[in-house]
Amino acid sequence: MPADTLASTKPSWADEVEEEEDAFQTQVYTDENGLKVIVEYRDNDDGKKVKVTRKIRTKLVTEYVNKAVAERKKWAKFGEEKGNKPGPDLSTTTIGENIPLKLSSSYAKTPTAEQQVDEQEVKMRAALKSKNIMCRICKGEHFTSKCPYKDTLQPLDEIAASLEGVKNEGSSRPESPEPSGGSGMGPNKYIAPHLRKGATAVGESPREKRDDSATLRVTNLSEDVTENDIYELFRRFGQISRVYLARDRETGVCKGFAFVSFGMKEEAERAQQAVNGLGYDSLILRVEFARSS
Amino acid sequence: MRPILLQGHTRSLTQIKYNREGDLLFSVSKDKIVNVWYSHNGERLGSYAGHQGAVWTVDVNSTSTMAITGSADNTAKLWNVQTGKCLKTWEFKTAVKRIEFNEDDDMALCVTEERMGFPGTVTVISINPDLEAAQSDEPVVTIVNDGGPKAVVAGWTYLNKFIICGHVDGSITQWDWKANEKLNTIKPHSESLTDIQFSTDRSYFITSSKDKSAKIFDTITLDELKKYETDTPLNSASITPKFQEFVIVGGGQDAMNVTTTSARAGKFECRFWHKILEEECGRVRGHFGPINTIAVHPDGKGFSSGGEDGYVRVHTFDSDYFKFKSDH
Repeated sequence: MPADTLASTKPSWADEVEEEEDAFQTQVYTDENGLKVIVEYRDNDDGKKVKVTRKIRTKLVTEYVNKAVAERKKWAKFGEEKGNKPGPDLSTTTIGENIPLKLSSSYAKTPTAEQQVDEQEVKMRAALKSKNIMCRICKGEHFTSKCPYKDTLQPLDEIAASLEGVKNEGSSRPESPEPSGGSGMGPNKYIAPHLRKGATAVGESPREKRDDSATLRVTNLSEDVTENDIYELFRRFGQISRVYLARDRETGVCKGFAFVSFGMKEEAERAQQAVNGLGYDSLILRVEFARSS
Repeated sequence: MRPILLQGHTRSLTQIKYNREGDLLFSVSKDKIVNVWYSHNGERLGSYAGHQGAVWTVDVNSTSTMAITGSADNTAKLWNVQTGKCLKTWEFKTAVKRIEFNEDDDMALCVTEERMGFPGTVTVISINPDLEAAQSDEPVVTIVNDGGPKAVVAGWTYLNKFIICGHVDGSITQWDWKANEKLNTIKPHSESLTDIQFSTDRSYFITSSKDKSAKIFDTITLDELKKYETDTPLNSASITPKFQEFVIVGGGQDAMNVTTTSARAGKFECRFWHKILEEECGRVRGHFGPINTIAVHPDGKGFSSGGEDGYVRVHTFDSDYFKFKSDH
């Protein structure tokens, strides 16, 4: 029937899809340089189709050998290889990666890549030595992050002590370790928390106690006050170790109060007396000592 | 150069040996297997089955008709190279650590281990070159180093005049094997010898030792001619016969012995030293474990190394190897 013939000549979508599949056939041809080219299509690990092109250069090497050698080439395979076809078996014989043999008379003197890296490190350290790098943990001449004793627990208190010391003296580093540097300072002795220097039996570390005794709570702050404003307002009274501005979690807007921690209790007292009642952004500020609950 | 990797063994290689023309490479390993390969393309020709223990050593005669192996099962076996058939088994009291045909292929020396009250010996057995003939059981002579340190390696000198033995304490002895008499002893190494390989004419030989050095000696006078000091215990040393005056040494400390490791894999290297100038000239890396054995192709165009990792790497030198001239 005419309708049927029309339908059969019109290419259906199913046929079109099939044609696409045919396009991904393995092709083998020889290109203009005489290289044999094999083009394959396959799915890689991600499930994507990849086109793999292999170019193979075949070189025919004619070697003149001893007659005995030629004879041996014809021997039948035996033992584990018995019955195998001629030619190397890929399970036993593979080609390794290209390894250059660089011959030179002064091989031993040329630094290898590793040696060069080491040399660079040494140079860097020497350059930095002149800048007086000191580690906060063990006071050695290296960066704190490069300290070999980085992961022992004790140093945390020493860092705090040295930080306090830094604030107290106002210099870039203390000249000597804290006198209460304490029992067993060093990498090899573990000291239980309650036995460490300055620790109380209750388990509260001295650092926190000091902090709270010099911490002020500032209330009646306006909404657009920032940490920086607090910092600027209080820094004239002494070194500020911490500013915490309470913010609403969702909106980020100031909740109206903040905590300021000073290095010294005296600084906190002075600040409290000075700022309490101060007008700031059309609100009267209230400052009192923080009560930790 | 692109080395050919031969993966015919599952355990570490103990010795590899080229035949006289260099077209065949024999490899033996602790996995009891003896393999023979075509060296030009790495194709395996076959394997010899029969040993019940780790095979420590192999040698092939100059006509490539017979091969001989020594094993930890206290035997040495003679094989027909072409068919793979075992022609003869010699029983010993202890493991056979080194075996070598003499220059006439009618005798072989076997270095046996010292164990369980049996002293280490160097036994000379006689071989009938006829493949069909029966082989003798009786050793020609058994050399025992009276109370002294056991021999770990040994080799024939030219014209089969003497046998040179390397011992576990680092000493080297020279024997007139016909008279079973020790002629000379020297102690050049501070630790055990690991390998001894002769020059093509056998007038000098190179030894490698765990004391991180390799040395060359004159066969007759035992004068120390050259010394190569490295930074790693050496397991093998070989002399290039043609084109260039090199010695190739290799070794390495096993991972469990090393305390400071660099994270590079494939870092065990064969080192090339200039034989005369005693200078290191280059390295070829690639093995994943210590190199246990090195053999140079008799035509000087390549070399092979067998490692603790179970691989044999067959290298063929690039053209720049042959053009290298030391600038001295």
